[in-house]
Amino acid sequence: MSFTTRDTQIYREDEKSGHRKLGPEEREELVKVGGYTFFISGSIAGSIRPSPRLATSKLCYHSEANATYQNYLPAPSSRQRSSSRVKKQDSSRFGIRRFLKAQFYALLYLIIHAIFSLYIRIRIAYHSISNRLVAILKHHYNSPEYIARDIATLKRLPAHLSIILTLENGGKGDALEKLVNEVSEVAAWCTAAGIPKLSVYEKTGILKRYMTQTHRSVCNRLKIWFGKHQSPPVALFARGAPAIRSHGRQSLDLILISEDDGREAMVDLTRVLTEMVQKDKIAAKDITMDVIDNELSEAVMSEPDLLISFEPYVDLQGYPPWAIRLTEIHCAPDNQGVGYQLFLQALRKYAQATFKLGK
Amino acid sequence: MSDLYLSHVRNWFWKSPPAEWLMKGARDVLIGTLKQGPIPKHVAFEMDGNRRFARNHKIETIEGHHLGFEALARVLEICYKCGVKVVTVYAFSIENFNRPRGEVKGLMAMAKVKLEQLVQHGELLDRYGACIRVLGERDLIPDDVLPFVDRAVEMTKHNKDAVLNICFPYTSRAEMTSAIKATIDEFTSPSQPSKAPFSQTRITQKIRSNYSKQTESLDSIRETSPDTSARSDVDDSMSSTTALDPESPPLQSTTAKPRRFPNAEHITADTINSHTYTAECPPLDIFIRTSNVTRLSDFMLWQCHENTHIFFLQCFWPEFDLWHFVPVLLEWQWRHKKILEKESPRK
Repeated sequence: MSFTTRDTQIYREDEKSGHRKLGPEEREELVKVGGYTFFISGSIAGSIRPSPRLATSKLCYHSEANATYQNYLPAPSSRQRSSSRVKKQDSSRFGIRRFLKAQFYALLYLIIHAIFSLYIRIRIAYHSISNRLVAILKHHYNSPEYIARDIATLKRLPAHLSIILTLENGGKGDALEKLVNEVSEVAAWCTAAGIPKLSVYEKTGILKRYMTQTHRSVCNRLKIWFGKHQSPPVALFARGAPAIRSHGRQSLDLILISEDDGREAMVDLTRVLTEMVQKDKIAAKDITMDVIDNELSEAVMSEPDLLISFEPYVDLQGYPPWAIRLTEIHCAPDNQGVGYQLFLQALRKYAQATFKLGK
Repeated sequence: MSDLYLSHVRNWFWKSPPAEWLMKGARDVLIGTLKQGPIPKHVAFEMDGNRRFARNHKIETIEGHHLGFEALARVLEICYKCGVKVVTVYAFSIENFNRPRGEVKGLMAMAKVKLEQLVQHGELLDRYGACIRVLGERDLIPDDVLPFVDRAVEMTKHNKDAVLNICFPYTSRAEMTSAIKATIDEFTSPSQPSKAPFSQTRITQKIRSNYSKQTESLDSIRETSPDTSARSDVDDSMSSTTALDPESPPLQSTTAKPRRFPNAEHITADTINSHTYTAECPPLDIFIRTSNVTRLSDFMLWQCHENTHIFFLQCFWPEFDLWHFVPVLLEWQWRHKKILEKESPRK
């Protein structure tokens, strides 16, 4: 299955000589005895058994080729079965070997998963302890000065930060309150760090129904952080709803997005474009990537620079696909809940990341 | 010096036939074992880090790409043996055309050689039931490579067991744009005329053509008059009801006007999805990006928006092997089990 060293050597020598060394027939010979098919095509599945016969002279395979052909290549229908198993099936009448093999694999599967389960539990425990410790050491004490000090060393900051939050327990109990609280908290961090734009993704879109309350809560939080009179104004946006602004020059744009702004928004745009084409207002050939990009970034939001997921693993949950193209995604493995240490970690990672866009 | 000697000994050991035989056995057992659990149907790989690998090992960039190709061959074998139905790889981005010309040329030459060799071994491919699809902007494929792409795709298209999607020159935004355009095309081509013997549209068309024959001279004057622009503004509300309007447009557009379009409201996410390159593939289960870059970089944006487990790995692509893939697969199986457990008590 894995390529033997010798096969790889032969393959690489052929590669170096500009693929002149091996003709099609010789390559096929290599396939019959080794794993070379994958080099040739880079695509095929199946199982091929490497064989030490490659070492013997080439003439030898030509005579043997037809005999070994059937053994080393799977029959067209039995791609998944390994050739060795096919052979064994033929030899054992009652399928005892196959049965034992299946039992063996099932047992091994249980053992491997038990070990992995143990490992992952230890990992979760380790991460939660270390997260807690870092959270204690790097606390912001609700003070913008601490945050400003923490980020002072960073070379650059994202102009647009995006976060994914989840509504717990399907919105029962104080889940909504907790969510609004988290939004206000992150908004305060962003304002203190000088990030001008924050978008909050929450799958169900419940926050969009409580925009005034969210706005009030964020403003109150900022008042606590910055003092009643110095608190920076906030503008709250959501697709298809009037923006809520507080007086004065805006220092933080807060955008609420939900599942509807993902694929659904693109569907809506397609409908509008279709209607326009149907009424001959625009020609179908004029619809380009720029047009779509412009429309989606105006109506939904522009591309975020950094996305922080506070989930235990990266799960986009229906996040707008168009916007996420070059977004740096940060997610601490096994993390639970919104924490400042994660925010800081993400900003640090963003400052170190290099962007080359295909180059 | 002793270090070098040790590494020689280690290499000699791992490359010796018994060690190789044992490793092969271990791999087979591991794959057979993992197959006992749930297996992802669709896996996508973003093969990143060939050049950094080459730089770190002080070899030519194109050598790095060649090693990357070997890694791809390895990975495909593992995936299909495990029972993964569709593997999608990001071979070349539209943005990659901005790379140094020599490198682009080298990559294209590599693609050409690989496909050329593939074409020579057609009947071998059928035995594996593997089918190759090339996703991306056809127009951007260089002319000397295109015939090989077409032949490889043509030769393998009847195979159904496993699919390899090669994204070549691809970006996800271009894909989404083309899917949206295809949807618009679908909804702006007139719906099939009904089989009813008497068609209302035909009647109105006849009446209108009679009408406009009478007033042809008048219309030709009116067409040049400024009121045509005024009419286009009210087009919105009137287009469906203008059938017998005295202000109806002149003959040339009467053939266009009464076209009945499918209702645009019927467009759904599935409609757009059916026009993406991966329409026939199962939903993406695992997305793997190597070389510790945590961006999607314009790959599979539409596909991985939900229920896709995204893994960012530290290793460079040429190093990628079963030992990197197994933890990913195990973790996916573990999460899969957890999700099922979470869902089952609710039912």
